[in-house]
Amino acid sequence: MTTKDILKKVRKIEIKTKRLSDHIFGGEYHSSFKGRGMTFSEVRPYAFGDDVRNIDWNVTARYRTPFVKVFEEERELTMMLAVDISGSENFGTQTQLKREMITEIVATLAFSATQNNDKVGLILYSDEIELFIPPAKGRSHVLRIIRELIDFKPKHTRTNTAQALKFLYNVLKKKAIVFLISDFIDTKYEDTLKIVGRKHDLTGIMVYDPIEKEMPDLGLVALRDLETGKTAYVDTGNKQVRHTHNAMFLKRHDYFKKAFQKAGSGIIWVATNGSYIKKMLQYFKARS
Amino acid sequence: MKNLFEHFELYTPYALLLLALVPILSVWLYRKRYAEKPKMQYADLNSFGGFKTLKNKVLIILPVLLLLSVALISIGIARPRSIDVTAKTKKTKGIDIMLAVDVSASMLARDLKPNRLEALKKTAINFIKKRPNDRFGVVLYAGEAFTQVPITSDQRIVMQAIRKINFRQLFNQLDQGTAIGMGLATAVNRLKDSKAKSKVVILMTDGVNNTGEIDPYTALELAKEFGIKVYTIGLGTNGYALTPVGVRPDGSFEYRNAKVEIDEKLLKKIAAETGGKYFRATDNRKLQKIYKEIDKLEKTEIKETKYYNYKELYRPLILISVILISLIGLLRYTWLKSFI
Repeated sequence: MTTKDILKKVRKIEIKTKRLSDHIFGGEYHSSFKGRGMTFSEVRPYAFGDDVRNIDWNVTARYRTPFVKVFEEERELTMMLAVDISGSENFGTQTQLKREMITEIVATLAFSATQNNDKVGLILYSDEIELFIPPAKGRSHVLRIIRELIDFKPKHTRTNTAQALKFLYNVLKKKAIVFLISDFIDTKYEDTLKIVGRKHDLTGIMVYDPIEKEMPDLGLVALRDLETGKTAYVDTGNKQVRHTHNAMFLKRHDYFKKAFQKAGSGIIWVATNGSYIKKMLQYFKARS
Repeated sequence: MKNLFEHFELYTPYALLLLALVPILSVWLYRKRYAEKPKMQYADLNSFGGFKTLKNKVLIILPVLLLLSVALISIGIARPRSIDVTAKTKKTKGIDIMLAVDVSASMLARDLKPNRLEALKKTAINFIKKRPNDRFGVVLYAGEAFTQVPITSDQRIVMQAIRKINFRQLFNQLDQGTAIGMGLATAVNRLKDSKAKSKVVILMTDGVNNTGEIDPYTALELAKEFGIKVYTIGLGTNGYALTPVGVRPDGSFEYRNAKVEIDEKLLKKIAAETGGKYFRATDNRKLQKIYKEIDKLEKTEIKETKYYNYKELYRPLILISVILISLIGLLRYTWLKSFI
């Protein structure tokens, strides 16, 4: 992928997701993640429809025209996006790969955050931390995040969610909004998740491919594991094999749900053929 | 088991070197087991639980079958075959041999073990056994001569006749004495009409011609006349030997040490003039040696033809491997066909 291609792709994602965050998510996000309270910022002349209770009588008396107090929410929130870019993310049988969908989700979230004057940071992890972008504000910062998501080539292919969570815990000193986006083909992250969930406002987004849930009958296929690189013939024509496969997915999904619920965190799961917009909106609405 | 390998051979055994391909091929197959297959990338193989279905198992066996068929083909190329030998000896026309055996009383002398006659019988039989293509006859003589077996190719009869020579019986029937001339003449008589390439008389004696109607020299002339070779063998040690000298009233022999007298001059002359050879046998070993020598001198050409019936065994091997390979191909493209 040349730089031009990447920029093109970044632009495309920007257009798509910025619109989403401007029109749909912006408000929802804002109300979902509240700041610490309201602080007075300025006074302005009274306009029709303003709440009478907000009139600043001292200023009104001094200028002999009505003035109202304007409050602003004290935000300065930090959003941390922890994204799994292990080998398994490069899988997808529908219109897009899991990683591509994750990129869109991250972009949407990042734009929503900047719009609300929040700082956005990024952690890319596999079985170790691949990339860490400290939280910052601004459109160009978001664009960089998107670019990394599109172009970053991880050194490792496996997944270690617990380690990523530990890193996140050490890096973020203040309370932050954390999104952990992965396919959660991993285990043993429950304990670490609990610790992180206690400190931060944590949300887990599970992205999966429908084939991971239900394998169609393809007969005998040679499959190569994207994470381990192992190859094996899998007889998908066998019912028991397909059943095991489905059971394993459900087990994984269950673990994901339970782990996040125990940590007091929110969860979103979305298939690559589904609409993440709908799911996220539902989630934000439920929160606020 | 031994029999099996005796009749079993590989026509091109170095083709077995192809068997070395099997381990090489197996390593190669193991390394490339997924190479020729298009693979689908998948997020998580563990989710299938490593469950092995029948197809998975057969898929593992397939390369083993392939290796097996390669091995079978290698063995087949080596052309194993069983051999069935039928030897057919073509009888070439051999020579005719008359054995003229002295059966006078002195043949019981014990300088050869157990006595001259028995030693002679044994050696003569061995001699006959070694010459399957020749015809033999036997003439016995003492004071007079008679033909025990006329010249015949049936060696079994000849050998039996020799074995059955019974001194005591002959002793009663024949005149006493040693009629070398008679013996030789009788033998010559038997050979004179023979059409064999070579006619031989083996004349054995242990004494001096002392009786008989035909003089040895006359017999010699006869032999020369018919082109008969005479080998002469003088039996008896040098000096004295325990020789029967008389008969006791109960019929057993009285043995005394007597001087061994052999008319060597005569025997040498007979041999020399007919193109034969004179030998002196002083003991059993010497006697055997003499016969061996005569055997060598009278070489006959033996043509033996061997017929080899080979039964090629590669056919089932190749057949099995062809079946295996087609089975592999068939399974690959039907039951074990991959979606991609």
